[in-house]
Amino acid sequence: MRGAHGLPRLRGLTGYAFIAPWLIGFVLLTLGPMIASVALSFTSWTMLSPPNWVGIDNFNRIIADDPLFLKSLWNTGFYVVLAVPLTVGLGLFLAFLLNQPLRGIAFFRTVFFLPSVTNMVAVSVLWLWVFNPEFGLLNRALSLAGVDGPLWLQSEAWAKPSLILMSLWGVGGTMMIFLAALQGIPQELYEAAELDGAGEYRKFLHVTLPMISPALFFSIVIGIIGSFQVFTQAFVMTGTVQPGSEGGPNNATLFYVLYLYKKAFQEFEMGYASALAWILFFIVLVFTVMQTRFARRWVHYEGGDR
Amino acid sequence: MDRRPGRPPANVRTLARSGSLYFILAGCSILFLAPVVWMISASLQDQQGVFATPYAWIPEAPRWDNYATVTTMFPFWRYVGNTLIITISVTVGTLLSCSLVAYGFARLRFPGRNLLFALCLSTMMLPGQVTMIPLYVMFARVGWVDTFLPLIVPSLFGTPFYIFLLRQFFLTIPREFDEAALLDGAGHLRIYWSIVLPLARPALATVALFTFVGAWNDFFGPLIYINSPENATLTLGLNMLKAQIAGTGVVEWQVLMAGALLVMLPNVVVFLLAQRHFVKGLAIGGLRG
Amino acid sequence: MRWRTPQRWLVPGLCLLLMGCDGREMEVERTVDISYNCAANAAEIRALEEEIPSFTARTGIRIVLNPFTGQEKLYAMIAADQAPDIFYTNTIIRDRFAAEGRILNLQEVARSDSFLLRLLPGIVEEGSAADGGWYSLSNWSYTCGIYYDRDAFRAAGLPLPDTAWTWREMRRAARKLTRDMNGDGTPDRYGIYIPSHFVEALEVMNGAQVGRGALCVSIPDASADVYGKYIALMEDGLMPDLRRMQALGMQPMQMLQNGRVAMLVEAVPHQGLFEMKGVDLGIAPLPRFGNRPPRYFRSGSGGLSISSSTDHPREAWEALKWIVGSASIFQPNPVLADRDFVAGWEQRYPHLAETGFREVWELSLLHNGGDARFFVRFSSWTAPAVLERLQPKLDQLWSRQITVADLREAVPQMNHNVGRALHDALGQENLLPAFRTVINRQLEEFTRGACD
Repeated sequence: MRGAHGLPRLRGLTGYAFIAPWLIGFVLLTLGPMIASVALSFTSWTMLSPPNWVGIDNFNRIIADDPLFLKSLWNTGFYVVLAVPLTVGLGLFLAFLLNQPLRGIAFFRTVFFLPSVTNMVAVSVLWLWVFNPEFGLLNRALSLAGVDGPLWLQSEAWAKPSLILMSLWGVGGTMMIFLAALQGIPQELYEAAELDGAGEYRKFLHVTLPMISPALFFSIVIGIIGSFQVFTQAFVMTGTVQPGSEGGPNNATLFYVLYLYKKAFQEFEMGYASALAWILFFIVLVFTVMQTRFARRWVHYEGGDR
Repeated sequence: MDRRPGRPPANVRTLARSGSLYFILAGCSILFLAPVVWMISASLQDQQGVFATPYAWIPEAPRWDNYATVTTMFPFWRYVGNTLIITISVTVGTLLSCSLVAYGFARLRFPGRNLLFALCLSTMMLPGQVTMIPLYVMFARVGWVDTFLPLIVPSLFGTPFYIFLLRQFFLTIPREFDEAALLDGAGHLRIYWSIVLPLARPALATVALFTFVGAWNDFFGPLIYINSPENATLTLGLNMLKAQIAGTGVVEWQVLMAGALLVMLPNVVVFLLAQRHFVKGLAIGGLRG
Repeated sequence: MRWRTPQRWLVPGLCLLLMGCDGREMEVERTVDISYNCAANAAEIRALEEEIPSFTARTGIRIVLNPFTGQEKLYAMIAADQAPDIFYTNTIIRDRFAAEGRILNLQEVARSDSFLLRLLPGIVEEGSAADGGWYSLSNWSYTCGIYYDRDAFRAAGLPLPDTAWTWREMRRAARKLTRDMNGDGTPDRYGIYIPSHFVEALEVMNGAQVGRGALCVSIPDASADVYGKYIALMEDGLMPDLRRMQALGMQPMQMLQNGRVAMLVEAVPHQGLFEMKGVDLGIAPLPRFGNRPPRYFRSGSGGLSISSSTDHPREAWEALKWIVGSASIFQPNPVLADRDFVAGWEQRYPHLAETGFREVWELSLLHNGGDARFFVRFSSWTAPAVLERLQPKLDQLWSRQITVADLREAVPQMNHNVGRALHDALGQENLLPAFRTVINRQLEEFTRGACD
């Protein structure tokens, strides 16, 4: 392996050269606004006047004096705990189904992927109809089975599950990632396992899962980061009832970022909203770090993460 | 489609297996397709029919002209052009930049690599709502507002989401290929281009697909950075179908649904194209031994 | 000899004169661009784009449309000093923007423009901010009334509502109109539906003293009375469950058309309801309470303002006048007194002549109770802090999880952040002196116990 290493100095440079696009972009486009928002979180800023320094007042108020902060955190936590496992699980399940050598499998792939390419504007209108208690698809289907459907988006108990259900409809993306991962598993591994006498279940456990573990790790991490920031669906779906109703029935769908948005753009408290954003940042960071530490035990990289 | 070699030909068992698979697939398909079927049905209704009870799934007089109406409600073809320009630029830019950066994070060692990767990931953790205004002010100062530039240029610098995705995929490619090429005196750029990229075709196809769809359907980017109706994209156009007319309470939902279906078509086409790259186990299996 | 001096000035003088003529001509040719943050509605944009060229040809002012896509976009533009010249403001935004000098006092731009004579009385006052200046020109105004199914009334043997009918009479009618045809226990037609955002209109009708600029939440007896009556409608089965109707509630006309309700409170005018087919429509004013003098709701919260960073205030004012007064998509405009608003609508929808639309409209003008909606009712500086806590509580009230008494008990909790909001407001650097005085006064009121 003589020639493989080269001069250590040069190796470092090559690395930086490859990641240069991201690094430059980070410094030019991301770093500035991020630093600005850190600074803003220590101020009170209405966006009409220059910011006022208030020190840690925002953070104090969030932690000690804000019932809606806790409520929005609870709502978001509920969503994350349900949405991530369901999405990843469903995506994996569908990817398995679609990885079978069946005729016409391409048709089914299109069917499952189709919902995730629909426009958000139309999706929100569509699902407002689907969830309509009287003439919506869901309740009509339920009534065929003799069940009286709930009010869905206007029901405190069912508002969040409605949004989770809606997000599951768009699982096509996650499914494609798993499909790509499944496609990348070399046949030889399965053959070798069969030679060793492994059945379906053992093959799944010892060949498939480890080989797709990078994609699994990816989906879980991205799922958590994304779910903590859930905003658009709640904003559009529960916000159409009347002005100020974006939080849903009794703030049942007041998610963290929605609360942040209201503070920033409806209540003239951009500084407070920045403080909220950074608290969320640290919560998500903690989760991701925990994930990564734990990942060493179960994520397997064929190419080695040296 | 590949068949699994070496499997004992138990015809009945295979048949039963296929049958049950089809059954499950069909069941799931109905669940996924039902809202889309409703979209199609709604797009053919008239103003009253959309909310009629009882609802007529297939209207007596299907209003195919709703689709034509969509193209007249706003400068449809112009928006198609605008959206195409943005989407294709973003897709190409993202593919190139993200694969380069992901290769760097996956394959190369350099001081601070893990820290930088963590930094890259962490930029996804801050909600965009708080960085939106400083970013807008920045773009306004250089005069890029109301152009496509704020939408295209950031993609040339990589997106953490795809960098992460591609890094995961690159890490699953065995290093033996790299090392063989290094022995032959190849530089990293060649390895990246000739070995890693072809092996990661399914992943690249996925990224291309996602980027295309994401840029085609992008709502908040154009929302913030585009002012004049001439520069708007299709998503903004659809949004204009959703608002009421001067407080009258009248919204033409059926036209909106027709519009959404029209806008969805290119994404489906791109999907079908990307699918061809999902060929199972070809590259790795073939190069072994 | 004495000719020389004037002659010396003759030639330059002539030149100046000629140049002056040229200059004026050039000014008309050089068009001024005024950006208008219009609604992001395709039909509206198209209609405006058709008419703007002739306006430009006449005045040299080109109105550039800039569709409104969201609050955050507007703030971003303001933060980047690229605010549109004309944009929409509601009560809260108007005060805040005016207080920091972001929008122009229209009185200074309009001065003695004869256009002001065309406006309905009270329009200028509606668009005023806390310092008394006029900052926005209302571009629409509506009242509310009860749309009802006349066939249903006749079938039930009920007299059609007259303009002086009372709450009790309305309830009696609703009771008779609620019916359960298929005997499954739930009515398939309810007597009436009143969306929760019209409850404030009932408060005003009942004589509640809820004006503009209140510092904090207070629930006078007249309001509590109305809340009780509203809830009683639901409890007595005359009105469907509110949350259910909100979940359904995308098209009010569907409710009448499908016979889900026999009476419906909605905005007047409402094009969707006017266009509804298949129902013999009648329109009645809101019922009165006992012998209290009627006070009808008239919306007066939003309007168009001119950004103070505009380069051409006079031209912006001209554009504003055109949009409100002449753009045909907004005509007939209810804020103009010189057009018969009702006749304009009756021309478009002839059947309106027998519905009672005219009576409802004219009554609302005669006994104008103003706009007491919650998001208009409070001082702009305390409204967000108060509404944040008020709205969930109201939600719980309407879904009957709490009682009116509980709501009254929760008032101090709702007013919790009022003091802080006022302090924060005073801390803003760019606050204009007139507004600083106003907020200081509000703070004094608060510390003297106005909210206890």
